[in-house]
Amino acid sequence: MKFKYSAIAFSLIMGLSACGGSGSDEAAPTTPTTPTTPDNSFSFAATEMITNLTDNVIVAGYADLAQKGDALLLATQSLINSTSQADLIAAQAAWKAARQPWEQGESHIFGPVDSLSIDPHLDSWPLNTIDLQTQLNSAAGFDAETIKGWNDDVQGFHTMEYLLFGDGVNDNTKDIDELTTREREYLVALAEVFRDYAEQLDDAWQISHNPQDTNALPYGTLLKQPGTTTNTIYSSQLAVIEELINGMIGIVDEVGNGKIADPFGDSITTADTSKVESQYSWNSLTDFTDNIIGVRNVYQGEYTGSADKQGLIDFVAAKNLALATRVASEIDDSILKIQAIKGSKNQPFRQAILDADGRARVQVAVDALSKLQTSLESDVLPLLSDWKAS
Amino acid sequence: MMKIIIKLYALMSVMMTAIVLVGCGGSGEEATTLPEPPVVTYPSYTDISASGGDTTTFDASNSGHGFSTPAPNLTKSELALHLEGDVNFESSFTTAPNAEHPELDGLGPVFNNADCNSCHQRDGRNSTPFLAANETRVKLGSAAGIFLRISKAPDEVCTEGTAQNNYCAPIAVPDFGGQLFHRGVLKARPDWQQNAFIGQADVYLSYQRSEITYADGRTLTLKKPLFDVENPYDAPGETKQSVNVTSNLLQDDVLMGWRNGMPVFGLGLLEAIPEVDILANVDVNDANGDGVSGRANWVFDAVKARDGVAHPVSLGRFGWKANTPSVRVQSLGALRGDIGITNPLFPDESIAGTSLHDAYLTRTGFVDTGSDENGEPEADAAFSDSVTFYAETLAVPARRNVSNSNVREGARLFEQVNCTGCHTPSFTTKTAGDIGGQPMSDSLKGQTIYPFSDMLLHDMGEGLADGRPDFLANGNEWRTRPLWGIGLTQTVNPQAGFLHDGRAATLEEAILWHGGEAEKSQQAFMALTQNERDQVVAFLMSL
Repeated sequence: MKFKYSAIAFSLIMGLSACGGSGSDEAAPTTPTTPTTPDNSFSFAATEMITNLTDNVIVAGYADLAQKGDALLLATQSLINSTSQADLIAAQAAWKAARQPWEQGESHIFGPVDSLSIDPHLDSWPLNTIDLQTQLNSAAGFDAETIKGWNDDVQGFHTMEYLLFGDGVNDNTKDIDELTTREREYLVALAEVFRDYAEQLDDAWQISHNPQDTNALPYGTLLKQPGTTTNTIYSSQLAVIEELINGMIGIVDEVGNGKIADPFGDSITTADTSKVESQYSWNSLTDFTDNIIGVRNVYQGEYTGSADKQGLIDFVAAKNLALATRVASEIDDSILKIQAIKGSKNQPFRQAILDADGRARVQVAVDALSKLQTSLESDVLPLLSDWKAS
Repeated sequence: MMKIIIKLYALMSVMMTAIVLVGCGGSGEEATTLPEPPVVTYPSYTDISASGGDTTTFDASNSGHGFSTPAPNLTKSELALHLEGDVNFESSFTTAPNAEHPELDGLGPVFNNADCNSCHQRDGRNSTPFLAANETRVKLGSAAGIFLRISKAPDEVCTEGTAQNNYCAPIAVPDFGGQLFHRGVLKARPDWQQNAFIGQADVYLSYQRSEITYADGRTLTLKKPLFDVENPYDAPGETKQSVNVTSNLLQDDVLMGWRNGMPVFGLGLLEAIPEVDILANVDVNDANGDGVSGRANWVFDAVKARDGVAHPVSLGRFGWKANTPSVRVQSLGALRGDIGITNPLFPDESIAGTSLHDAYLTRTGFVDTGSDENGEPEADAAFSDSVTFYAETLAVPARRNVSNSNVREGARLFEQVNCTGCHTPSFTTKTAGDIGGQPMSDSLKGQTIYPFSDMLLHDMGEGLADGRPDFLANGNEWRTRPLWGIGLTQTVNPQAGFLHDGRAATLEEAILWHGGEAEKSQQAFMALTQNERDQVVAFLMSL
């Protein structure tokens, strides 16, 4: 909005200049009183930040996901005729490894992951274990293309999780002898579906955002080159930054008010473990932690392990260094508080919400997330109004 | 804060104009010797940012969240209801019975999608289906947000709805209904072991391509989605090409038409436009001779029927052919139809009484009848009310780049080629009364809004026609699509297309598909220079 204000001022000056030919002092207009709005504007050159966040955080994350998808498929294929418990443990580890970039990527869940319906296909829960069992009992073979047309509640991450880890009620371990032939076949088909979607997502960001049109721009380019006539997605750098900030707000809200709050309920009696994400593998706290690490990736501009580069923190710091630092610490604090839910007994989330001490720790994490969300919504997002793109 | 700045902007514009005039006017004789500058006037909507009045959002109006924020002027309790509806809008339903989540069971048994969001992705349009490499058609599955409406061809044109003619409602296809459900729960079909998760029939989409050329030689390729319907449940494996077609669905007098999901923001405002103001633009016989008529659709109103109104008919406002009267009827009709979730307004499954449903109930032991042991529907009143309120009170995104010179020229050209003949820029909502049979939120009252729609039916020509009447709308008629927010369509969903079947990949393509009453405007658009056409599109992208 500040930018528009400046444009008006510019028009005003031009209007006055146009009249300059009159040469008459008497005719000169009285200089208007400039509104005494405080100048809260700030400058920040956003190209480097947007480029870094696109290439080294978002695209790097999806490339990682695609690699993990390949590895998970191989791990499930190795189970087909295996009697080795180590193979099952390796497949479980491959599932968790794939889970990491996926959950971190939820801090920027816009674009192809949504438009290609990849998110609901891969990450829906609760499952329909009745239909799943019916299909596992059937005589028909499984193939990835057929399964893609089936309902989301019998495929994706959590169906693979259920088959790899068991029902998760009392433990998150499974003996390889418990894996039936049909379960193994179904796992391989599901891993193939996952591999395909992960590849499609990676391609959409790096090759063409439209699977129908190989000449369409990669989604990454649309982020990095906003405001051109061929970019019907992002009209300006402001639009891209707004997207990134709202993406962070979205996942902080979802973790605090959805993923944790829904199963948490109002009391132990209303807590509902069936609503817990990744309840079979007891990976829930890792999922939630990765969600907020994803927020940190975007904020700090670093995908796990990469060198210091520009992130949204630099945009915020250009206006308000104290705010930039405060939000960074609120993100770190949220991560620590989520990790602390496990307590000294190393409780998984599904047990913690059924335990008084555990619930107290959950509440602390929810409060930390709520504080972070407020800062992002009330302090960070409004900076866009003051920003002068350069 | 934003509003204050905008008002400042308006104030300064006035000041600026006044100062320029004063400054130029004071020089006496000299001024009279200067040539008169060409007077360019811009339509009154040109500089408007807040398309939805006080319900406009500025915080997300540049990004993919632009359709998904609550109106900023809701009260605290209204916001809570809106957010509850937001959760419900994304709730994915499951097969009944579901002991762990009985509140979410009841999906289908045949359906198009399992949640609202899948057809209204991020509260906008659905993704356009794409064909895999080397494929000529795609089978609609779990990713499809498009579906087919179906009905029998009527013997005669229905001109006035009465109880005897079912208020001119489309005639259901025997044993199928009025909408083709391509998906099903696992055991929806008698042959479920061969057709797991398949609904009433398989639906395939393919594209027919054509070219259109401007006078300056520029050529565009347009695509039109075609459909093939195969493997109906009443004659598995059958197609229209089968030697002996027996399926009720594949008979020659069955009409079918594609329907895409539409954006769901700003709908309460559209419902709050006074009926008299919409009807004021009706010009059935084109009395003003501008080539544009404009007809109202009068449709069955389930709320009035529920309330015992003798003639349960209302002005149609929503749906591609204005075939539903309110956000409530539209939303809960889709909940029951598209998803298969019965609710207080529509307590029976839409396929109730068909062979498919009867056989399904028998085969699965009557565990998914559409109502529980107490006779309650699958979604309760609280769910229904919140999801309706959600769609009524999603904020309208503010316009972008309003002061850009190309955008302003585009605004002028938009009027010059008479797009405004149907895309009526502005209305003011009513200040009191009900919507959907319930008191309306204060947030929607008395708002000056810029939807760019007259909310009326227009003959859009053969190119767009689906040949399928819907209440008083004939096979060529479509309701003028509101244009607010249209520039954010692909920001919200990069895979989204425009028009009722998503055929237009760009706004330019959408304009070029306009025919019938809009043909003059389409021709006038085509006669513009490339630069001017780009300015029109730039204006649309600013909406």
